[in-house]
Amino acid sequence: MNRKLICSALALAFLGAAGTLYAQGKQQTITTVVKITGIAWFDRMEAGVKEFGTQNAGIKTEQTGPGQADAAQQLRVIEDLIAKKVDALAVVPIDPAALEPVFKKAMSRGIKVVTHEADNQKNTMVDVEAFENAAYGARINDRLAKCMGEAGKWTSFVGSLGMQSHVQWAEGGAANAAKKYPKMQLVDAKTESNNDATKAYEKAKELLRKHPDIKGFQGGSSVDVLGIGRALEEAGLQGKVCVFGTGLPSETAKYLESGAINGIAFWDPKDAGLAMNKIAKLLLDGKTVTDGMDLGIKGYDKVKVTKGPGGGIVVKGQAWVDADKSNYKQYPF
Amino acid sequence: MNAVASALKGGSHMAGVPHRGFFARHPESFTLVLIVAVSVIVGSINPNFFELSTVFDILRSSTVTGLFALGVLIVLAAGGIDVSFTAIAVLCMYAITKAVLGYWPEAPFIVIIVSGAIIGTLLGACNGYMVHRLKAPSLIVTIGTQYLLRGFLLTFVGTLFFMVIPQSMDNFGRIALFNYRSATGATAILPASVLVLALAAAVTWFLLNRTLMGRAIYAMGGSLAIAERLGYNVRVVHVFAFGYVGLLAGIGGIVHASTIRLASPFDLVGTELDVIAAVILGGARITGGTGTVSGTLLGVILVTLINNVMILAGVPSTWQKVVIGAFILLAGAVFATRGKK
Repeated sequence: MNRKLICSALALAFLGAAGTLYAQGKQQTITTVVKITGIAWFDRMEAGVKEFGTQNAGIKTEQTGPGQADAAQQLRVIEDLIAKKVDALAVVPIDPAALEPVFKKAMSRGIKVVTHEADNQKNTMVDVEAFENAAYGARINDRLAKCMGEAGKWTSFVGSLGMQSHVQWAEGGAANAAKKYPKMQLVDAKTESNNDATKAYEKAKELLRKHPDIKGFQGGSSVDVLGIGRALEEAGLQGKVCVFGTGLPSETAKYLESGAINGIAFWDPKDAGLAMNKIAKLLLDGKTVTDGMDLGIKGYDKVKVTKGPGGGIVVKGQAWVDADKSNYKQYPF
Repeated sequence: MNAVASALKGGSHMAGVPHRGFFARHPESFTLVLIVAVSVIVGSINPNFFELSTVFDILRSSTVTGLFALGVLIVLAAGGIDVSFTAIAVLCMYAITKAVLGYWPEAPFIVIIVSGAIIGTLLGACNGYMVHRLKAPSLIVTIGTQYLLRGFLLTFVGTLFFMVIPQSMDNFGRIALFNYRSATGATAILPASVLVLALAAAVTWFLLNRTLMGRAIYAMGGSLAIAERLGYNVRVVHVFAFGYVGLLAGIGGIVHASTIRLASPFDLVGTELDVIAAVILGGARITGGTGTVSGTLLGVILVTLINNVMILAGVPSTWQKVVIGAFILLAGAVFATRGKK
């Protein structure tokens, strides 16, 4: 009997000690959920996520996401994380509307929620944008217009019509052209590529058939320019038709060299990953982001803060990068 | 079914029902009617549709879908279904591209495509063996293997795009069967890869119509129990049918990477429903025992066509999925009710 008591007491003491140790060593976890794991873009973001983890001892950072860009799968990943009780979620939503209920649930359980590329998200505390989407679209459009000689037919692509940011880039470009370049004519805007280079290729061919005199393409998804570039190269039209859009230096190198893609634009996903995690940490510390604040990250040194569509705020940097044949090699991703 | 068809054949001159009998006996002719109807409608909206380059583009886009569809035809005819072929294709394509680039960059194309065929066949045969052994619905087994293979690919093989593929694959993708320059100065090319589809179609036709295995496949698709009683070795037929899908998937994957000149591990998976829709719209029944090669090829052309004329027809991008979905639903409904009085 005595022995049993001693055993139980020891076991209890051990448990207690383990509990204290656990509490002392407990790190706060910030989990970043991306649209799709494994592509170069989000691998680069993961570098930022990891860097933030190593810089901040009390924070454990990790990145995850669905194996394919499927809104339902992303939803499941987030539900699992809520069940695991992470401290903060930093999410790049595939379809913001689909995630509203799950974010609401997360916040009601005290989990801090930060989003990226989703300034229409209602249930988020802070949405961080590398830049104003309309301004980014307009900037790409300015480069396209310059290449086209500010005249002729042009068109725009989006990864999917459910992707808010892609739609805003396309519409920002369209508004810019309508305002500044009266001789440019937008045709069959916002073609969907389903984020698939083959589909973008087929759609570009179809557009070339419908408009043999088309002069410019503005890509949305990072694979759009790849499909468009290949279609132009095969038709022997590189140099005659201008192609600008979001793209990755590593993936577009071949076409930038051949001239089938004239220029790409992007923001550094590593910095976006750092910014999301930095903001999540501020929220965990009970602070928030204020207008004009310096997050200590390139392009996010003087952020603009506005009220979001829900209870949260939208934080915008000026973190875009223009690249073409002359300078793409500086960006190793 | 045959009794109904011949009864209708006898009465096909009666007013009111003649088309029913004809389409019931030749479901692929209905597919052809749809193809012509879509072409006429789109062509009347936009005359740019009637160009030789349209034919080239449709054939080119149909090549890989067609290879997959021929495989699916065999499995459907045998009374099963396969949704893992895209995962087999992308695994073969990506893993082989990676291996060739790493160890033998100058490997000849024949070696690459044969290794694709072998790996694909083995993976497909595993599906067939499991379907037979577990007596499980083939849909469940192949959903499982689709996840498994794709997960394996992304976890262990790699996730980066190869923008530069082995030289021999690149060369193959560039062989032009025919090319011409249009009035607008754009070049249109018919790639030689369509010959792979033509060859696969011929082999599949021969297999289904001239061999004992073809009879066994239709028999098993009609009724597994009766086929077994008739003395067909259903294990061999299962392994063969799924192995054949794997074979065509492996070849299709390599052809896909060669023609698009990049290897992405995120490609193809997600297109399997388009392929299955094409086979059904070509007249095969999802319940098995039927289906022809000519019908399947027409079904593939129909699905490719409808996916590639939305912009020409002037359908705004927000409406394109609605139109395509409604079209497949309507055409599918017609096929589902065919043969019924």
